[in-house]
Amino acid sequence: MLKQSLLSLALATGLSTAAHAESVNILMEGVPDTEYVKTLLPEFTKETGIEVNLEVVNYAEMHTKLVPQLLASKGSYSAIVVDFYWVGEFTKAGWLAPLDDMIKADNFDTSVYVPKMMDLVGQVDGVTYMLPFYNYAMGLLYRTDLLEDEANKAAYLEATGMELAPPKTWGEYLEQVKFFTKDGMHGVVNQGLRPDPIAMEWSNYLFANGGEFHDADWNATLNTPAGVAALEQYKTNVNEYGPLGSASFSFDEAFNVMAQGQAYSYITYNFFRTAIDDPSQSTVAGKVEIMPVPGQEPGVGASLNGAWGWAIPKSSPNPEAAWTFLKWVESKKIAKERAMQGGSPTRIDVFDDADLNAKFDYMGAMKDMLLTSHNFPVFTYTPQLVEVLGRELSLAVADEATPADALAAVEAEMNELAKKDGKQK
Amino acid sequence: MNQSKTMEAADRRFGWFMSAPSLALLLAVILFPVFWALFTSVHDYTLIAPNFDTFTGAENYISAIQDPAFRHSLGLTAFFVAAVVLFEFLLGFIVALMLNSVERFKPIYYGILLCPLLMNPVIVGLIWRMFLHPSLGIVNYLLTVVGFEPVNWLGSTQMAIWTIIMVDIWHQVSFMIVLLLAGLSAMPKEPYEAARVDGARVYQSFFYITLPLMMPVIIVTLLIRMIFAVKTYDLIYIMTRGGPGVATDLVSYSIYRTAFVSLNVGEASAMSAILLGFILLLTVYLYRYMRSLT
Amino acid sequence: MNRLAKKIVPHIILTVFSLIILMPLVWIVRVSLTDKLTAYKIPPEIGTLGLNNYVDIFERFPFVTWFANSFIIAIVSTAIALPLATAMAYSFARLNTGGALLRLGVLASQMLPPIILVLPLFGVFLFVGLTQSRVSLIVAHLSISLPFLSWMLVSFFEGDMARLEEAARVDGASRWQAFLLVAVPVAAPGILAAGLLGFILSWNEFLFVLVLSGPGTQTLPVGLASLETHAGVEIAPLAAATVVSLLPVFALLPFLRKHLIKGLSLGALK
Repeated sequence: MLKQSLLSLALATGLSTAAHAESVNILMEGVPDTEYVKTLLPEFTKETGIEVNLEVVNYAEMHTKLVPQLLASKGSYSAIVVDFYWVGEFTKAGWLAPLDDMIKADNFDTSVYVPKMMDLVGQVDGVTYMLPFYNYAMGLLYRTDLLEDEANKAAYLEATGMELAPPKTWGEYLEQVKFFTKDGMHGVVNQGLRPDPIAMEWSNYLFANGGEFHDADWNATLNTPAGVAALEQYKTNVNEYGPLGSASFSFDEAFNVMAQGQAYSYITYNFFRTAIDDPSQSTVAGKVEIMPVPGQEPGVGASLNGAWGWAIPKSSPNPEAAWTFLKWVESKKIAKERAMQGGSPTRIDVFDDADLNAKFDYMGAMKDMLLTSHNFPVFTYTPQLVEVLGRELSLAVADEATPADALAAVEAEMNELAKKDGKQK
Repeated sequence: MNQSKTMEAADRRFGWFMSAPSLALLLAVILFPVFWALFTSVHDYTLIAPNFDTFTGAENYISAIQDPAFRHSLGLTAFFVAAVVLFEFLLGFIVALMLNSVERFKPIYYGILLCPLLMNPVIVGLIWRMFLHPSLGIVNYLLTVVGFEPVNWLGSTQMAIWTIIMVDIWHQVSFMIVLLLAGLSAMPKEPYEAARVDGARVYQSFFYITLPLMMPVIIVTLLIRMIFAVKTYDLIYIMTRGGPGVATDLVSYSIYRTAFVSLNVGEASAMSAILLGFILLLTVYLYRYMRSLT
Repeated sequence: MNRLAKKIVPHIILTVFSLIILMPLVWIVRVSLTDKLTAYKIPPEIGTLGLNNYVDIFERFPFVTWFANSFIIAIVSTAIALPLATAMAYSFARLNTGGALLRLGVLASQMLPPIILVLPLFGVFLFVGLTQSRVSLIVAHLSISLPFLSWMLVSFFEGDMARLEEAARVDGASRWQAFLLVAVPVAAPGILAAGLLGFILSWNEFLFVLVLSGPGTQTLPVGLASLETHAGVEIAPLAAATVVSLLPVFALLPFLRKHLIKGLSLGALK
């Protein structure tokens, strides 16, 4: 009795202060794509008469803000955006409304999305809970001007016997990192801050060495030759070829090193490709290109995938209006307009759009990157895995644990989490 | 006899009357959350299954105490709190004494030292991250100009916690100054005049008059600052996320992770209750000590 | 010589200290006048200075809303907390209301990390239908400031002051008069500092605002934190916003000038 009344007093019962029928409240994080959506909202209001209130919060604090809202039976938000980290948690807790009925009723075509996107922030166990909003798959940013420099070409040929060109394999890339670390220039800048910057970045190293997080039965496969090699390489890059302090860099610090022209390469979220051409942030505008993180063989991508999806929480005060908004914002026309402003698409037809490719010649590379990317394990405890991974990687980089010990620790905790979640039998 | 009893009763009524509005508000707003947290700490309450179906007794407490990471963060927090409270107090008391002794420019000094206090820890963290960037930050640049090696402020396991302490001092030392200065301003003047007549030296009147009379204010200031320092979370979140390794993993950040990353609100509540126990003990000790002085 | 030293030494110490506090602030002003590229240039370059970021914070972000919310919530919660806390502190100090247990109990709620309190607190406000309103933020901030302010003020009501009140009571003053006309004026510096503390607590509070606010009720800390985005920190607009958000200090200066001096002289009356 006490338990029940406590619970109901705390979270279950609620009065909604939110939204009239003609307005949708959406909670979003601060990213370029949010800004682009903002510019297009007047069109939506003109078309449908529905007002949209975008509430933007710090991306890292968003989870804290969302959870109480989702626990309530009636919250304040009509629609939300969900990081792939939270997909497992939110669906397991039953906080997201399935979209399949609405998708069917409106004949909304979800086959236009990159399949990996739908796996990540679309469907869970065959039920569609989200529409992929934008992707933040990681790519390799590298300095084209340094590759084209004749002196560099000659020196590189002499040192390695290879032509200096965008790296086709991971081994070639590591050679270049070593080669370009000279005269105050760094071969690479890393984002070594725990937990997500380091965990996300290192995942690319893992895939590039041919490793994966787990096998088909969700047994962790990190303390393996590929995993250990990836961590050794990461450590070397941070401590020998990177700038001082990159063990504590978030992507902002690392990006600034790249943007100030002090590093040859940086593996990071693809939307920094747009930012690096912005002369108010970057001295190397026009001198940087992006490509999929190279793998063991030419043509094999090792990029880590990442994305946010649109979702309608079960606590939404007005799911119908929210759906009206979702299908508008994810229509080809609006998705294209967002991409034209510099956004990161998730739809194949947007990637293939002629106008877009005419404007940004790296769109093909972006599409390749997604098609050959790898997904991070998505399950209920993804954030905790990121946390554990980040902690142990950070310990290894700081020389407080050997790579094998660090990875063994992650493996043990990952297996436990997978068991707890019922993924591992 | 009888009269003094009615006087006493009237006093008591007056006291309750004076504190009733505050108490009513606190009861209405904060009692339930505190009770909820304690209740949750003895249940298996997670964000995935937010219910009180499984009573677990002391299980959450035991698993928290057995967790080496939690014990590490408790120890680190004790060190951090001791360091910031001590340094901020010493520095703050000196500045407060100086401020109390001047008339000219006083509002200007006061206005300047209020500025950091009006900055949110999130902003302070972001701004200092920029200043302390190892290769692109102004601080290392100035150090190299005067001939020092650049310092790895946040990326070295030895340095990071001291960097956080220094930033915290810059941010919060004025808190001490404001409270201590208020205490100094409220001091009676006669003892000093009497001491001067008796020919006491400056340090004598400081140790025999200022310090004893200031004791209640000093203790309360230390206590309040200590409670805030234990709850330091935003600065860590913005600047290091507990890293590198586990070098700056303060307990409030670890509790946050347990609740909102591991989704285990029950254990996070138990960790909070353990923390509450420590602070409460310390508070009782300081409070007794304060009573013993008067 | 000695007298001169006595006059000058405090100013030297205070000037050095003020400079240490001030230097980072000066650099923030500098960053606010340039762009991210120039802000990170080492060795520093002047670059092109301009007020773009100041325009930016008003055009791209609802800065006025953030600022107004912060200010209103901090002022109102302090205006309510100060008299309530003063009265409670007085009853604790003079009349020992509720004894040590109540005193500790009042503070104990603040010894739990707020992250643990925020879920049930959200539940409370949901229950009474006040989420996303300014009222809920004011009440939440009161729950933080009341315990601290009253603890702080207790120490100002203790000590010799009781004798002064006794004297006033013998002269025929009522309890109320003794409180308002003797105790409050003597504790004025403490009350002023408590007011400042209450304002600062509310002004900087982040977590409760994050969870309890809505689009129209975000305050500066939550609003400015959103400038740390998934695509990097918008450091230049952030610096500009920080500069503008420090304006209350300068608004307070005339008030401080009057009361800092007055607070002193009231203390000296005794």
